[in-house]
Amino acid sequence: MAEDLNWAIGGEAGDGIDSTGKIFAQALSRAGRHVFTSKDFASRIRGGYTAYKIRTSVEQVQSVVDRLDILVALTQRTIDENLDELHEGSAIIYDGERSWDAEIPDEMTAVDVPLKSLAEEAGGAIMRNIVALGAACTITGFDVEYLDEALEKRFGGKGSKIVENNKEAARAGQEYVEENYDLSHLGYNVETTDNDYVLLNGNEAIGMGALAAGCRFYAGYPITPATSIMEYLTGRIEDYGGHVVQAEDELSAINMALGGARAGARAMTATSGAGIDLMTETFGLVATSETPLVIADVQRSGPSTGMPTKQEQGDLNMALYGGHGEVPRFVVAPTSITECFWKTVEAFNLAEKYQTPVFLVSDLAMSVTEQTFPPEAFDMSEVEIDRGKLVDEDEVDEWLDAQGHFRAHAVTEDGVSPRAIPGTTDAAHMSTGLEHDELGRRTEEEDERVQQVDKRNRKVETAREQEDWDYREFGDPDADNLVISWGSNEGALVEALEYLEADGIDVRVISVPYIFPRPDLTEEIEAADETIVVECNANGQFADVIEHDVLTRVKRINKYTGVRFKADELADDITDKLSEEVPA
Amino acid sequence: MSSDVRFTDFKSDKQPTWCPGCGDFGTMNGMMKALANTGNDPDNTFVVAGIGCSGKIGTYMHSYALHGVHGRALPVGTGVKMARPDVEVMVAGGDGDGYSIGAGHFVHAVRRNVDMTYVVMDNRIYGLTKGQASPTSRSDFETSTTPEGPKQPPVNPLALALASGASFIAQSFSSDAMRHAEIVEKAIEHDGFGFVNVFSPCVTFNDVDTYDYFRDSLVDLQEDEDHDPTDYEAAKEVILDSEKEYQGVMYQDENSVPYHEKHGVTEDMSEIPDGAPEDAMDLVREFY
Repeated sequence: MAEDLNWAIGGEAGDGIDSTGKIFAQALSRAGRHVFTSKDFASRIRGGYTAYKIRTSVEQVQSVVDRLDILVALTQRTIDENLDELHEGSAIIYDGERSWDAEIPDEMTAVDVPLKSLAEEAGGAIMRNIVALGAACTITGFDVEYLDEALEKRFGGKGSKIVENNKEAARAGQEYVEENYDLSHLGYNVETTDNDYVLLNGNEAIGMGALAAGCRFYAGYPITPATSIMEYLTGRIEDYGGHVVQAEDELSAINMALGGARAGARAMTATSGAGIDLMTETFGLVATSETPLVIADVQRSGPSTGMPTKQEQGDLNMALYGGHGEVPRFVVAPTSITECFWKTVEAFNLAEKYQTPVFLVSDLAMSVTEQTFPPEAFDMSEVEIDRGKLVDEDEVDEWLDAQGHFRAHAVTEDGVSPRAIPGTTDAAHMSTGLEHDELGRRTEEEDERVQQVDKRNRKVETAREQEDWDYREFGDPDADNLVISWGSNEGALVEALEYLEADGIDVRVISVPYIFPRPDLTEEIEAADETIVVECNANGQFADVIEHDVLTRVKRINKYTGVRFKADELADDITDKLSEEVPA
Repeated sequence: MSSDVRFTDFKSDKQPTWCPGCGDFGTMNGMMKALANTGNDPDNTFVVAGIGCSGKIGTYMHSYALHGVHGRALPVGTGVKMARPDVEVMVAGGDGDGYSIGAGHFVHAVRRNVDMTYVVMDNRIYGLTKGQASPTSRSDFETSTTPEGPKQPPVNPLALALASGASFIAQSFSSDAMRHAEIVEKAIEHDGFGFVNVFSPCVTFNDVDTYDYFRDSLVDLQEDEDHDPTDYEAAKEVILDSEKEYQGVMYQDENSVPYHEKHGVTEDMSEIPDGAPEDAMDLVREFY
């Protein structure tokens, strides 16, 4: 395992924690280092503990761990909240001139820096966090010049004076620690490389994937943690002739997106928590009207308002079964930030090829985590667009009935009907949430009902055969121990493998991005001595599905504290779980 | 768009199942005439229908259409228009769909001033569920669920529209066929959200707000030569008049700029390249 460094800044919400953390993450990325960030935060603009954590290494990092090396603490609570992660080699930067008396365990190194005073000297107290970044540079041996570019990116729009002041503030912190402390015994030395990385979070990757896939219309209602998809698209989608509309609620948002899709645009909406409950109302209509629509659910902790800024993978059943009646659909759950991009592109293709709702199920952890990747990880030339059976005027004729009506819900072998959008001559037709005949007109005839239900279901079967629903695999393919996961746990699991290997435990990891249709894991589970399903919920929703598929019992690791899995913690959990009896 | 479109081109070959004498027949005929008179044809028209007796209209008309979820017709119409500013969008529903379950959407569709037409078939009753109070039922109107009347004032949809910042407010009567078609036509031609509340009597379940009632009581604003629809204060007066009910265009903002123009939404969003946009790697580089 490459040497990693774990750094954090914490304080009260409103202290600029997030933007300071982002600046440091960007500086590390510019220095050719990999970065993986996480956030502890409250659903408040001011008040309440919040922290931005960075794990950095010259090698790819894709999980948080239970260790904190350098902490910038703006409050005592920041120290208290992180005592478990701090260790004897940890350095804590704090401002001794501030009113609180820092209580720092003796074995740790306290680095008292007059953050506020130095910031004031550089031009304003507001820059105290930047002073702290400078101080962190000295402790880690990180060249303060890397901060400059990040500061320019962050403050460039506010004028060169502000940028210069911030650079000066960073240097003031760096010099203060250099002059007053000898911290060489801590041994932190941040290497740099010549690699260029991009730094982005899962929601940005979803938004970018949508643009790449030709999404031109987005309707949404702000809700944590989905809002940043909407914010990403706003101001960018217009460059491609698209538009984002902020709806009055989620009921409206999904119906607007549906309208956009019926008019022929690639359209999407995204939400979370109670927002997906409201949207459930329209799932059935999307399916029966056979409208291609991408619905992203960035899961957060529930039920009800739950813990709105905390992690959970609790909506799997909702995505699989939400909506009254039987609603054919696809459920895709990206397992990493790059996959947020690629699965979004795929979701748009699936939606149009099969004229079916596609649920893109992400989660809070992925939405707020910023991670570095080589830009080639998002190679736009690899993006393919398949619009399915979208017919043009020349093709309309073959889909008309004897009276010249367009058969928008024609019963076909593969279940997929032709799709005509407004403006296509002679193809005007209606669609409805009522059961309908081939022309989209209401029917309660038994034969027609059965034909339409079957054809909608047949689309899923066609897709099951024609598309790739494979899983991603890590670790030892021949290991006796099998760990299965879905969604964002993949990174922590992959890193947990290294801890397990060090302890002599071989594990095969299967990370499943397709929840429906999904890969059949019967052979894999039968080949293993032990199977554990890992997920961030209390009831093991994916484990239930797997047990049902394979008709066997699996062991379960469930975390529902509101915090994502950490690699080292997960390795311990797996070790413990392997020694337990298989449930009866 | 062909110039020889007749209103019957907007008629499907499906026979309506509305009760004989239902106001919705007249309402629909007027809509079809207005669409034909404004130079639209079925292939460039999108009708969104709500749920209720009125919602059946999508089946009886011929055009691109969606019959959706109860109360959400306006959001669907909004999405269609944003994706395709070139398409004529007409949303139709009833008083329950528009002023009860969809009231929130009504307020915001009005505010957005999306360039579409909203025709509400207001019969002051829930017909499809066989006669319960609607948001526009009179406070003493006795129904199966309100044996002594709802005991709450009816919503004044015109006032609701006015308070929400409407740019076009009109009212018509399904039985006054020519005037109704004329008013809907004006709503279609309006640059923005053209709202028409249509008195569309339910002959089966409403014995109070009947054809006779509207015929006898309705005041036509066209005959009132003093009424200037561009005069906001005058509009306010007729809309808030608790003594009389009117037909005609109550209010029209001559300077109305529709949503898509304000937001620079001009393109046909259905057309996209075969792969990622040419400059898409710039999106990635933004994250350096």
